[in-house]
Amino acid sequence: MDSVSFVVVKSFLNHITSALYGLSWVCVFIVGRIAAEEPLRLHEIHVEPALVQLGGTNRVQQLLITGVREDGRTIDVTHLSRIESGDPAIARAEGGMLFGVSDGEGTLHVSCAGQELDVPVQVRQISGYPPVDFANDMLPLLSKLGCNSGGCHGKSNHASGFKLSVFGFDPAADFDALVKDDRGRRVFPGSPEFSLFLRKATGVMPHGGGRRLPIDSADYHLMLAWVRQGTPIAQADSPGLVRLSVSPVDRVLEANTRQQILATAHYSDGSVRDVTSAAGYSTNAPLVAEVDRTGVVRTGLVPGEAVIGVHYMGQVASVQLQLPRSSGYVPFEFPATNAIDELVRSKLEKIQLVPSDLADDATFQRRLWLDTIGTLPSPAEVRLFLADSAVDKRAQGIDKLLERPEYADYWALVWADILLVDRQKLGERGAYELHHWLRRQFATNRRYDEWVSELITATGNSGTNGPVNLFRAAETPEELARTVSQAFLGVRMECAQCHHHPFEKWSQDDFYGLAGYFNGLERKAIAPNRVFVYHAGLKESRIPFSNKLVAVRPLDGVAVTAFDGDPRRELARWLVAADNPWFAKLAANRLWKHFLGRGLVEPEDDLRSTNPATNEPLLALLSQSLIDHDFDLKALMRFILNSRTYQLASATNSSNQDDEQNFSHHYVRRLSAEVLLDAISQATGEPENFPGRPRGTRAIELWDNRLPSYFLEIFGRPERTSPCECGRTSEPTMSQALHLMNAPEVETKISSADGRAAQLVKSGVETEVLVDELCLATLGRFPRESELQIAQQLFKTAPPQQAAEDFLWTLLNSYDFLFVK
Amino acid sequence: MRSEYCDGIDRRGFLRMGSVAGLSLAQLLRLQQTHGVEGTGKKDVSCIFIFIIGGMAHQDMWDPKPEAPAEIRGDFRPIDTKVPGIQVSDLLPRIAGVTDKLAILRSLTHGDPDHTAGYHVMMTGQHPGFGGNFNRNVLNNNMHPSFGSMVANLGGSSGTLPPYISVPNFLNSGGPSFLGPSYAPFVIEADPAAPEFSVRDIVLPEGVTSDRSLRRQTALRAINHLEHRVDALSRQERSLDTYYEKAYQLMTSAAAKQAFEIDRESPETRDAYGMTSVGQCCLLARRLVEAGCRFVSIENGHWDTHRKNSESLRDLLVPPLDQGVSALLNDLDERGQLDSTLVVLTTEFGRSPRINEMAGRDHWPQAFSIVMAGGGLKRGLTIGATDKQAASVIDRPITPSDMAATLLTALGINPDLTLHTPLGRPVQLAGGGRAVHELFV
Repeated sequence: MDSVSFVVVKSFLNHITSALYGLSWVCVFIVGRIAAEEPLRLHEIHVEPALVQLGGTNRVQQLLITGVREDGRTIDVTHLSRIESGDPAIARAEGGMLFGVSDGEGTLHVSCAGQELDVPVQVRQISGYPPVDFANDMLPLLSKLGCNSGGCHGKSNHASGFKLSVFGFDPAADFDALVKDDRGRRVFPGSPEFSLFLRKATGVMPHGGGRRLPIDSADYHLMLAWVRQGTPIAQADSPGLVRLSVSPVDRVLEANTRQQILATAHYSDGSVRDVTSAAGYSTNAPLVAEVDRTGVVRTGLVPGEAVIGVHYMGQVASVQLQLPRSSGYVPFEFPATNAIDELVRSKLEKIQLVPSDLADDATFQRRLWLDTIGTLPSPAEVRLFLADSAVDKRAQGIDKLLERPEYADYWALVWADILLVDRQKLGERGAYELHHWLRRQFATNRRYDEWVSELITATGNSGTNGPVNLFRAAETPEELARTVSQAFLGVRMECAQCHHHPFEKWSQDDFYGLAGYFNGLERKAIAPNRVFVYHAGLKESRIPFSNKLVAVRPLDGVAVTAFDGDPRRELARWLVAADNPWFAKLAANRLWKHFLGRGLVEPEDDLRSTNPATNEPLLALLSQSLIDHDFDLKALMRFILNSRTYQLASATNSSNQDDEQNFSHHYVRRLSAEVLLDAISQATGEPENFPGRPRGTRAIELWDNRLPSYFLEIFGRPERTSPCECGRTSEPTMSQALHLMNAPEVETKISSADGRAAQLVKSGVETEVLVDELCLATLGRFPRESELQIAQQLFKTAPPQQAAEDFLWTLLNSYDFLFVK
Repeated sequence: MRSEYCDGIDRRGFLRMGSVAGLSLAQLLRLQQTHGVEGTGKKDVSCIFIFIIGGMAHQDMWDPKPEAPAEIRGDFRPIDTKVPGIQVSDLLPRIAGVTDKLAILRSLTHGDPDHTAGYHVMMTGQHPGFGGNFNRNVLNNNMHPSFGSMVANLGGSSGTLPPYISVPNFLNSGGPSFLGPSYAPFVIEADPAAPEFSVRDIVLPEGVTSDRSLRRQTALRAINHLEHRVDALSRQERSLDTYYEKAYQLMTSAAAKQAFEIDRESPETRDAYGMTSVGQCCLLARRLVEAGCRFVSIENGHWDTHRKNSESLRDLLVPPLDQGVSALLNDLDERGQLDSTLVVLTTEFGRSPRINEMAGRDHWPQAFSIVMAGGGLKRGLTIGATDKQAASVIDRPITPSDMAATLLTALGINPDLTLHTPLGRPVQLAGGGRAVHELFV
């Protein structure tokens, strides 16, 4: 366990002359172990930037000071170093940053743990303000200070009437809002300090948003300079922002440490600006690493990986961080069954996680059945598999499962969640048709790229042509753009519909370019709840409100100009092409998540540069494999299911018990609502009676997601109003526990005269055999010694029928039943 | 993890050294005497927390501004109440008769106009930092524990009812966050005003006697816990395990089950509260608190009156609330339970001073009102004031953290207690808020 203590260092005395300048920083030591007080020893230190140039529009420079420790580890010492300006009249150091004071050349003295470095500093044109460019200089401030956030002036009907574009995506409108609107009352060129927007922002006048910046701050002075200069909108030679770079790009960190990030904006004229304190930061794994507004990352005790997304004025960059586990690592054996295992193993080695052992046959079988076909193996099936002595019985078992009829039912259910098959929206006919079409695609193992193409180009009568109903589930071009993008590309475009996507590069042009494919869709009502859908031909696509014309084109793709017939065919071609960066990747990620419990990218349908996979080579492998096998989904499933990684036990060891990202052991998951209901029906031998359905209909066969069912509701059945699997929840609740324990419906099943318990008792078999059967039927394995004893205790204290029911009740409420282990 | 400032003071100690959130030493000592040891929670003060979903129009209910121009003051007139000097709008005639039992806090302010953020800040006392895995559709979506979860965790148990119950559904941001699933609410997903209201599955099914149930439970415990040590269970299993424990406690308590049976109340009582969702929820809450629940949260929806504000308030929204809450306060008082029950009437934010072109009011987090009654707090007063248009706070601003500190203090919980996030980061229960000392004797 690490701990930190702060001690004043003796070497401070070595810098007596500089003490006269009253610095705020002292050198500190980090202690790596609880008891020992080992002083920090560095081999070297580096400072970024190597040359500090202040002036013009780069007036403050964050420093990034990196040390190489005696043990070879690279660490951030930005906030541990002593930073002294050799010429405070030229530049002032404070809090890890350097502020320009007056023009000249100077030196920065950086020291830490015995290492010293001098960094040259150049300050030019610092006095007075350079010509302020509204888009480059003012707009970022409106974001940084929160003025244009969605809760304040970024909202569409702010009560004050002062409206800014959210995330600053419309500089021209924002300029007008500040300078021209409302009779120009927000700025006061005659006496700039009295400008209304400045007085409100500094809290001098009552402001609903409070005080956003102090009067003395650098940001305030910039805004004041802008007004003094006559509120220029742009400068003739203003460069444009071309990219954002960050440092470090990746780093292995230790527990309980800090890491400063440096963010630099690059402009078209080659100039750069430090934007560390103006950029926005986010983490995709707050348990592992948190980040604050100054770009400082903090780690705690939880090992794993985190990606810090950095964004500034529409540009994004990311920092990849790894926290290996600090203890319990021993070299391990992980004989690879296939290429998946090679890549998983190298990741485990890198992050120092010891994987668990292989799961035993019974565990593997139950898991395989539930994951592949949503069905429990029967006692007979379990006996058969356990007794089979073939060396490749697991591989054979996989092949057999993929051919079972339940496969089509189960995977239709999974995809119906994603494809908005909501009976409430589509009506019975529409939901039925779309669901059954999906089922046929899986029953025939049709190529994924083919059925997706058919789906998005569907034309015809919604009462007979299932896939046409997608265009009833999502009606407007905007909804269709969002749906297709999230369901098949894993690109979440919602934000880009109204403004520039805050964390990615997508703009409104991209969004409406994609939506344009669906612009000419016509829906003619032909009967109640039935429409005829067809595409009338390419129409122009305009962004609402601004009415700006955009080219109809796919993401990062070439515009469709003249086109004969249904432009959706072009979209389909682009979508399923082997070089589409997202299509195969998303499908592979979905399947990986389904079987392994967590996507390589999480959320599974949120692929973006600031949210990389925890194992990029593995995702690439799976994605390419799908393409190489002609988009055969079963082939990819076979690949995953046969890997050692999939077949690991869920029991953890001391090294991997906290791992939730790297597949060092199998992640336990609760059975989903329909699968659980079916499992209870099957185990008790008493089927569920769904209203209006033939007796014996299974929950995984249901095409009506709104069929009244208290059980399905409380166990998280989705409403299918979003094109994702996120509507389905497996969060535990007290209602679930109460229901499993006390529901009359469950008791009826358990005690049914035709049910499994009653039949077993009637058959007169010995208790041991009865207990075996009940365990095989519920847990997919023979009872442990302790479980047999628990059962025998029940048989000792009650008549056999009751005891059998009680034991069955116990099994149905046990975690080995409710979870896939 | 020890961390010291350079002058050697332990940082944890530094947090504890601060006074208890704004109370004077005398007040604190008095509280500790009457309420028990600091931090362990006074066992006999519970909370009924009524959350008005959408944003209560404070100027049309609690903070009338008759002098403001017509497009700001709205359509309602102020009326005198039982307490001379306190006025409320004419929409609240029955509340007017019980202002001697409550306090109106008119100077709430927080600045977050978004519903989701507004729920979070008013249910937990902290602004959410969005990003990460915040998903409003997931039960445990909080960045910080809700008050109910805090009370369940720190307030000490009193009996077999779940300590934190929500009705008629789960409230947004009502989850336990890093305190863990044990402190999530028990949710009654049914409207107590409905004729067939019942809480499902809390009694044994037909054919299973309590002896038989005991045999089953013994076997279940053995099978889940004996073979696998509890700490060998995965996180998901441990989560569900928590709920099984809670469920078992509930189903084996006769008193607890009876508390849910609202039809044990006389028709007169039920009518006094009003056969409306909010009315019957208030009545059910009273029963639950009597039976040992420490925190009941009630949700009443659809107050987001961007259009037809006056019409909606007058014809639909306010009368049931007026009746239900006044009946609750009267009932509690008659039963001698008002001092031991803190009633809070709250909302995400207020509504805009200027009526918009759809005859509605928009969100207004800069200034709004909430009501606190009972729980040993001072009664018959207003605290804080807004300007002529109820647009900004001009006296005694109260932040949600301050409200949190007040609520916790009334319930005998130290608001400056430090909790720890899973990352080990220390977090103050009430986020540094200071209790409204004017409410404490």
